[in-house]
Amino acid sequence: MRHDAISLIESRKWMTSHSRDETAHVQEAEGGCGVVGIASSVALSGRHILRPLIQMHNRGNGKGGGIAAVGLDADQMGVTDRILREDYLIQVAYLKPKVRDALEDEFIKPMYKVEKKYKVETSDDKAFLKSLEVDPPEVWRYFCRVKNGPLDEFISESGLEKMDPRRAEDEFVYQTSFKVNKKYYATSDMSAFVMSHGRNMIVMKIVGYAEEVIKFYKLEDVTAHVWIGHQRYPTKGRVWHPGGAHPFVGLDEALVHNGDFANYHSVSEYLAQRNIVPLFLTDTEVSVLLFDLLNRTYGYPLEYIIEALAPTTERDFTLLPEDKRKVYRAIQETHIHGSPDGPWFFIIGRNCYYDNKFQLMGITDTSMLRPQVFALVDGEVQLGLIASEKQAIDAALSSISSEFPSVPVYADSYWNARGGSYTDGGAFIFSLHPEEQQKNGFRLICTNKFGIPVTAPSDDWDSKEDIALSEILPAKPKANAFGKDVVARKDPGAAFELLLDKLKDLSGAELNNLFSYIAQQSTKSDTAMDEAVEFFTKVIDSRYASGKFRRSRLMQKANEAIAKILRSAQRLERNEPSLYSLVDQDNKNKMHPAHSPYAKLVIDCRGFPMEGEAGVSFLIKSARDMGWNRVVLIDTHGQRFIGAGLGPRSKGLRIDVYGSPGDYLGSGLDGAEMAVHANGQDQLGQILSNGRLVVYGDVGQTFLYGAKGGDVYVLGNAAGRPLINAVGRPRVVINGTCLDYLAESFMAGNPLFGGGFVVLNGMAFDPEGRPMILPAPYPGGNLFSLASGGAIYIRDPKKQVGEDQLNGGRISRLTEADWKLIYPHLKENERLFGIPVEDFLLKVDGVTKPPEEIYRKIEAAPTVTLAGAQQQLPDTGS
Amino acid sequence: MSWTAEPKRACPADLPEQALVPSDQLRFINRFTVVRADACISCGLCASLCPYGVHKRIEGHGKILSPDDRSCIGPACSVNYFFCVANCPTRSLSVKTSDTYLSMGDPRWTSDMILATWAQAETGRPLPLDHPGNTGASGGGFDKLFFKVPETEVEFSPSEICTSLDLNRRKTGTKVRIPIPIYGGGMSFGSVSVHTMLSRAKAAKSWNTFTCTGEGGYPELLVPYKDHVITQIATGLFGVREETIQRARIVEFKYAQGAKPGLGGHLLHDKNTPEVARMREAVPYTSLFSPFPFHSVYSVEDHKKHLDWAYSINPGAILSVKVSTPNDVEMVSVGSYYAGAHIVHLDGGYGGTGAAPEIAKKNIAMPIEYAIPKVHKFLVNEGIRDEVTLIASGGLRTAMDVAKTIALGADGAVIGTADLVALGCVRCGNCESGRGCPRGIATTDPMLDKLIDSDWGAKRISNLYGAWRLQWCELLARFEMDDISQLRGRMDLLRRADKPAKEVGK
Repeated sequence: MRHDAISLIESRKWMTSHSRDETAHVQEAEGGCGVVGIASSVALSGRHILRPLIQMHNRGNGKGGGIAAVGLDADQMGVTDRILREDYLIQVAYLKPKVRDALEDEFIKPMYKVEKKYKVETSDDKAFLKSLEVDPPEVWRYFCRVKNGPLDEFISESGLEKMDPRRAEDEFVYQTSFKVNKKYYATSDMSAFVMSHGRNMIVMKIVGYAEEVIKFYKLEDVTAHVWIGHQRYPTKGRVWHPGGAHPFVGLDEALVHNGDFANYHSVSEYLAQRNIVPLFLTDTEVSVLLFDLLNRTYGYPLEYIIEALAPTTERDFTLLPEDKRKVYRAIQETHIHGSPDGPWFFIIGRNCYYDNKFQLMGITDTSMLRPQVFALVDGEVQLGLIASEKQAIDAALSSISSEFPSVPVYADSYWNARGGSYTDGGAFIFSLHPEEQQKNGFRLICTNKFGIPVTAPSDDWDSKEDIALSEILPAKPKANAFGKDVVARKDPGAAFELLLDKLKDLSGAELNNLFSYIAQQSTKSDTAMDEAVEFFTKVIDSRYASGKFRRSRLMQKANEAIAKILRSAQRLERNEPSLYSLVDQDNKNKMHPAHSPYAKLVIDCRGFPMEGEAGVSFLIKSARDMGWNRVVLIDTHGQRFIGAGLGPRSKGLRIDVYGSPGDYLGSGLDGAEMAVHANGQDQLGQILSNGRLVVYGDVGQTFLYGAKGGDVYVLGNAAGRPLINAVGRPRVVINGTCLDYLAESFMAGNPLFGGGFVVLNGMAFDPEGRPMILPAPYPGGNLFSLASGGAIYIRDPKKQVGEDQLNGGRISRLTEADWKLIYPHLKENERLFGIPVEDFLLKVDGVTKPPEEIYRKIEAAPTVTLAGAQQQLPDTGS
Repeated sequence: MSWTAEPKRACPADLPEQALVPSDQLRFINRFTVVRADACISCGLCASLCPYGVHKRIEGHGKILSPDDRSCIGPACSVNYFFCVANCPTRSLSVKTSDTYLSMGDPRWTSDMILATWAQAETGRPLPLDHPGNTGASGGGFDKLFFKVPETEVEFSPSEICTSLDLNRRKTGTKVRIPIPIYGGGMSFGSVSVHTMLSRAKAAKSWNTFTCTGEGGYPELLVPYKDHVITQIATGLFGVREETIQRARIVEFKYAQGAKPGLGGHLLHDKNTPEVARMREAVPYTSLFSPFPFHSVYSVEDHKKHLDWAYSINPGAILSVKVSTPNDVEMVSVGSYYAGAHIVHLDGGYGGTGAAPEIAKKNIAMPIEYAIPKVHKFLVNEGIRDEVTLIASGGLRTAMDVAKTIALGADGAVIGTADLVALGCVRCGNCESGRGCPRGIATTDPMLDKLIDSDWGAKRISNLYGAWRLQWCELLARFEMDDISQLRGRMDLLRRADKPAKEVGK
C-alpha cells in the first residue's frame, strides 16, 4: 500500500506543473449553507430530497445548488446492470455546448471505450425555465471504461505496475478529468467541466436553488439509494457558472459542506506537497480532495480518515484507549496541516466499489461549530438521514412516508454528533450492504466513527401492525366498548392510563379506529375538545412502552389526531360561541379581538413561510395584540421565531406548539408560557427574560443564549453551548445531557440569593418508558467555562464529573439551602415529565441516598478583586 | 471612481445653534504659558500692544489681569513689534510652550488635535482646512492622507450645502435621514458614565442623529431619547431584551470591534460596579467577557437568520451590521447586504479607548483606509452600492478624517472618542479602571460621575458637530460640490503624503 501511495503521488506530479496564478479566478467565497443527506434501503426517487431542500431554502441564496445520487437504477440510466456497476459514469457539463466535439475528440474518444452516451434530459416547463437566473449547463453522460492502450501506457509511464489495474484505471479517470477541468474550466473561459466521474453515481449542480436542479434535470423520478443535497449561500453575489456549487467529487464520492475553513491556504499547501491542486478554488473541493487523498491514495480505513480530518483533542484524547491514542497521535502528527480548521460539517455520499456497498456519512469539526442532526428510521424501509436542521429531516420523512407508508413522519431517533470525541468521534456512517434476504436487497447499518453500531431505540414492534396504524385515521370510526370507556373518562390523564394498560394488546387497525373515534367524539363540545387534545398531547409527550408500534408512529398519529380535531374547530371569521377558532393561510388576514379571555386560537401552520411578516410569529403577535391568551400551533414544519417579538407584558399568554418547529423558538420571551410538544431546534430561548418554556424533547445549539430569566424544563438533551452568557435568574432543568460547553460564561448571580441555575439530571427513558441513568451525566468538556455566577446542579452520585472538565469553576458540596432551592423545580419537573424525585432521582442502584450524595454543585470559584472582595457573593444581579 | 449623481437633496434645516460652552477645567490647559513675574508694575503696555487679548487691563483696576494664554501665539510672536516679552519695561513677562501641552496626547491624538477639538466644542467654530489639529502625527492612516484642496477661498453659504446621510438606501423599509454624515458609536453603560451617555444622547437628539447603547444594556435614563438611540446587540447579549429592540429605530449587530477583532467586549472587574451589574444582570465586581463570536452565528446563513430574528421583533427597524476589517471584508459586507442589513459598518483598528488591549489595538485587522475602498469598489461591481449605507469608524477624530473616509468610498462615519474629547477627555488612556478617569467620562464611580453635567456635555458635543459641519461645507465649497454624497468615492481628490501640500488643486 505504501508503495502505491508513493507511486500515485509521483504520478500526479504533472498536475502541479502549472503555476497557481494560471487559475486566475477569484476564490469563491464560501458562506454557510444548508445540507442534507438520505440513505435508504429502498430506491428513493429524487422528489424526496426536494422537500427538505425547499424547507432549507432560506439557508441558501439561490447562488448555487446541487445534489448527488449514489446507487442508481440501471433502467433509468438506460444501461445494463453490469455497465452501471462497472463503468465510470462521466458527466460533463457544457457551459458552452459548442466545445463538446473538441472536448470529446481530445479526451473522451481516444481514452475511453464509451458504452453509452447521451444528453441528460431537461425540463421544458417554459415558466420554470424563465424563472432561472442563469441557464444551467448542458450535461452529457458517458458510461465508459478506459481503453487498454492508453491505460497500459499510463500505468507504465506512471510506474503503477504493481498496483491493482482497476485502481490504476481509477487514477487514470481522475487525472483525465483533471486535464479536462484544467483546460476547459480553470485556465480558460469556463466552457466545460467534469461534474462527476464515479461509478454508479451522479452529481448535478446549477446556479440557483437546489430544488431547481431536481426540476431542471428532471430528477423527480430518478431513484437512488443515497441522496445528498446542498443549498449554497456564497457570500459573493454574482455567480454565473455552477462550477463552484456543491457537491464536489473525489472519485466515487461526492461531498457537500456547510461552513468554511480558516486555513484554506494551509490545507491547499498540504495538498500541493502531495501533488494535488484544486481547480475550482472553494474549500469544499479541497475537502473532497483531502478525503480522496486519505482514502484512495493512502488507503486509510474510514476511522483514520475521520481522525485526520477532525482530530480528537484535549480531554477526549486522554480518554481513548492506549492503542488508539498511539495510532491517532501518529495520524495527527502526519496530517494536522491538512486538517480543516474552523466551522465545517461534511456530508459525503459514496459508492464503495471495492467493498460492494453504498455509504452516507456526516462528519463534524472538532468544535461542532455547524448545526448537524442525524436520524435513523428502522423497519421495512430503513433510512439514515443527516441535515443541518431537524425539520429538514422531518420534511424528508413526511415526503418519503407518502410513498412508503411504513416510514413514520418522525424518525425513530435523532441525535447530534460530538465532534472529535472519544464517545462517537463526531461522525456517523450509514452503510447500505446488499443482502439477498432483505426485501429490497439492502440492509442499512449505522455506525459511529469507531465502527460501533447505532441502532434505533427499540425494534420491539410489529411491522405489520405499525403499518396498519399508518393508515389515515378512518373517517367513520366504529364505536366499541373500550373506545366509549376511554371517552367516558373526564380526566385525560385517567383516559391515557387506560390506553397504556391496553396498548400492548391493540392492533394497528384497532388503535387507529380508537384514535379516530376519540377525535370524532371530541367535536361535541369545547370541553370534550380540550380533553381529547390533552389526551393526545400525553401520547406525544409521555414516555411509555409503545406496544406493537414504534414510538415515532404513535407521535405521528397523535399529531394527526390533534390536527384533525383542531381543524374541525370553527374558522376565525365565524362568531359562534365555541372557544376554539381556527386560522390558516386563507383567513389569516381576518384576525379579530378574542371574544373571551379563554378563547383559543388554533394556527394551522400548513403553507406558512419560515419567517417574515407573512409568517407565524407575526400572526401570534397580532393575535396577542388583540387579546388572545391561548394559542395552539399545529403542523409546524420549520417555522422560525415562534413566540419571538411579543415584547414585554406577554404574561398570561400560553402557546402550545405541535409538529416540527424551527429555530429561535421562544426567543426573548418575557412573561409568556410556551410548551413545545416536539423536539426543539437551535437557538431556543435566546435572551429569554421571563416566563416559562417547557420542551417535551431535545433542544439544539446555543439553547438560552444570553437568557436573563425564566423557568425552563427540557425533557431530553441539549446540544452545544446551552446557557452561554446567561445572566439574571434563569432556572433550568435539563433531564438529559449536553454536548459541550454547558453554562459557558454563566453570570447569573448567586442562585441562593435570587440568581440562576441549571439542573442536569443525566437521565433518559428506556424503550419501555422507564427512567434510566445515562452512563455519564456529562461526557463533554468545558463545563461552566469562565463562568462567574450561577450554578450547575449535576446529578452525579458516582462522581464521574472531574475537575478536568471544568475551566475556571469548582465542584462543591450540595448544601441544604441548595436542595431547598432546586427541590421545587425537580417536583415541577416530576409533574411535567413524570420523572420521580424520591423514587428515581434520589436513588442510586435502588437505594435512596440523601441529596448531597446525589447532586453536586458546580459554582464559580471566587476571584479576588480589589474593589469588591467583600461584596462578591451575597449581592446578586437581579 | 464612479459616483452616482442623485437628484438634489434638501439641505438640512433647523440645525442647532452654536453656543459658547466653556469648561472650567480645560481653560488652564493651553498651548503656551505666559508668566507674569512679581516685578510687573502693571503699566499696561502689554495690554495695549497685544492684538490677541492675552493681556487685559480693566479701567479702574490697580492691577493688570493675569494673562489669558489661550489666545497667545507663543514665542513665534518674537518677530512682531508688539511682542510683549521684548517690550516689557521690567522684563517681567516670559512665554514658553506649556508643560501640559507637551505632555498631553499621543501621536494619534496630538495635543493640537485635542486642543482644537476642545476649542470647537467650546465655540462651535470650525477649524481652518489647514489647521494642524486636523491631522495627527501617527505617520500612517489618515495622517498620511490629505485632500488636494484648491487654494482659492470661496464664498459659500452653509445652508446651501447638504451634508445629510440616508441610513436606509434600500427601496423598502423605514427611511431615516440624518443631517450630518455621522452618528455616535456604541459605548456601553459601564464603560462610560451615565452622564456621558446622556450627553451623547442629548446631542444626538439636537442634531437629529443617533448614538448607540453599546452592549451594556439600555439605561432607563436614555428612554426619553429612544428615537436617537441605537440598540446594540453584541455577542454578550447583555441587557438585550425584546423591548430594547422594539423601541429602537436602528438595531446594530456588533460582530466585532475594529480595535480588538477576535475579542469580545470586556469590562474589567473594577468597572463592574453594583449599578453596572444590575443593568447587565451579572455579578458585581467580576470581569465580564463577551464571547468573540455570536455563538448562534457561525456563518452567513446563520447571520441571515439572526437578522431575520431582529426583524421578527421589530420589523420597522433599520438593521446595521458592525464588523471589523478582516482580509475578506468585502465578502462579509456583501454577505451582510444579502442577509438584509441596511447599514454595513466597518470598524477599523485605529479606534478604541484605553480599555482595549494594546496588542489587539495595534496588531490586528486591515487598516480602515484600505478596507473602505475595497468594499466600496466591490459593492459597486456587485451593482448594489446604492442599496447599502456604508459606514466607517475606528479612530476617526476630526471632520477631515470623516471627509477622507467618504472620499475613500464610505457614506458616513461613526464617532466615538471625539465625543469624549469634546467632554474634556485628555486621552490619558486609563479607561479600563473605573476610577482612573480624571474627567469622570469613562467611569462608573459614583463620585467621579458627577464631574460631567449632561446638558453642558450635550452642548459641547453639539458644538463639535456644528463646527465639523461648517468645515465640511467649506471643503465641499472648495471642490465646488453642494452635497457631501458627491464626495463619496472621490479618491482622486486625496493624496498620500507626509504633510499637506501647499501647491494643490491639480
